[in-house]
Amino acid sequence: MVNIADQSPAQALSKEMGLTEAAVERRKRIVGLDGRDLERISSIKDLVLAHTEEYTSAFFDHLSSLEEGRVVLANRSVAERARQLKREHLVAMVQTDYGTEYVTQRLELALLYSKAGLDLRVFLAAFHRLLESVGATIMKHFEREPNAGFEAFMSLKKVAFLDIGVIADVIIFERERVIRQQQDAIRELSTPVLQIRERLLLLPIIGVIDTHRARLITESLLSAIRANRAKVVVMDITGVATIDSKVANHVIQTVTAAKLMGATVIVTGLSADVAQSLVVLGIDLAKLNTVGDLQGGLEEAEYLLGHRLGSDPSAGYGTPVTRT
Amino acid sequence: MSVPILKQGDILIASIQSALSDRDLVELRDELADRVGRLRSRGVVIDVTALDVLDSFATRTIRGIAYTAKLRGADTVVVGIQPEVAFAMVQLGLSLEGIDTALDLEEGLALLHAGKAERARRK
Repeated sequence: MVNIADQSPAQALSKEMGLTEAAVERRKRIVGLDGRDLERISSIKDLVLAHTEEYTSAFFDHLSSLEEGRVVLANRSVAERARQLKREHLVAMVQTDYGTEYVTQRLELALLYSKAGLDLRVFLAAFHRLLESVGATIMKHFEREPNAGFEAFMSLKKVAFLDIGVIADVIIFERERVIRQQQDAIRELSTPVLQIRERLLLLPIIGVIDTHRARLITESLLSAIRANRAKVVVMDITGVATIDSKVANHVIQTVTAAKLMGATVIVTGLSADVAQSLVVLGIDLAKLNTVGDLQGGLEEAEYLLGHRLGSDPSAGYGTPVTRT
Repeated sequence: MSVPILKQGDILIASIQSALSDRDLVELRDELADRVGRLRSRGVVIDVTALDVLDSFATRTIRGIAYTAKLRGADTVVVGIQPEVAFAMVQLGLSLEGIDTALDLEEGLALLHAGKAERARRK
């Protein structure tokens, strides 16, 4: 197994984005890169290698001419690293070996842009400037046979678009990372499992239950049952506005799963409307242990746990009693 | 891989340590049915903590064990079903209806002892 700590950020990102060998092959097919292109690229290899410095400057000069582009150049070490990576990029572009390794190398630069907050449109403009400059030298070299020059340039352009595709994806992926994190946070917040007392959990459900959320609720409840060694769970669905057969099914599944782990679930908060609609729908909730409201549910739970509430003042709250 | 069956007072504990083949399960069923009678056990605990999957055959066999043991006079508790396993079972529509389940071995033993106390009271 590969230790995660040993991975570079680019490698980790590549894994996260699912840039497998197959995915890279697919990307190559999308831009239409084939064997003939590789041949043409080899024919201009030396030409491009001789001018990498010039092309790199074309890219960064354009960035520095734009206010939006200076974010990359503001920090000296970042700018230097970007330049170096861009040079490596140009060298790699003409090596005709575009596999996962090639794509992962591009990710580092893309991450750098993304961290610096470079906008996609600015990047695209600068990259176009670079291609322009590449195109100019190629056309000059192939002055006598412009068609061959054009074809070679077009082949190289396919590689460039492969790279642009990857870099754009990274910038978007990183921007959406925040959204994903917030979604996770909302999801977690929406399914709290509270311990009321030893061995007794409360699971208040508020809002709409869909399949995805039902799954999360069940999962968090089951792990909480294990973590807290719960015996009784009170599931309060007062906050669930409507219940249809699907939601009812989810509730039943959660209850059954909890039962398998040795915990009893008491469902509370079925309003009159909800109860009636369930009857009309013909959903059999007989399996469920239902109590009208949360208070009743908690009392029932205490009883199941063998505690008596307030009925015996001398015993005090929560003194275990034997059930008869 | 056969399952060790431990005798603890009048309770038998079958602790499943690794994934079982269908044949192992059948062997376990036969072995338990035999021992419940021979050792005059009143309770059986099947510990599945180590299992990360319970398929339909395993579920059916465990149900079979429980019913067999019941007929021979012993109550069965299945303990240690993992959250993922419980979830998967529910999704697949597998159930252990009519069989007691508990969180872990300790809870399972407590459940059996409680059942025994109840029986004693009824007498």
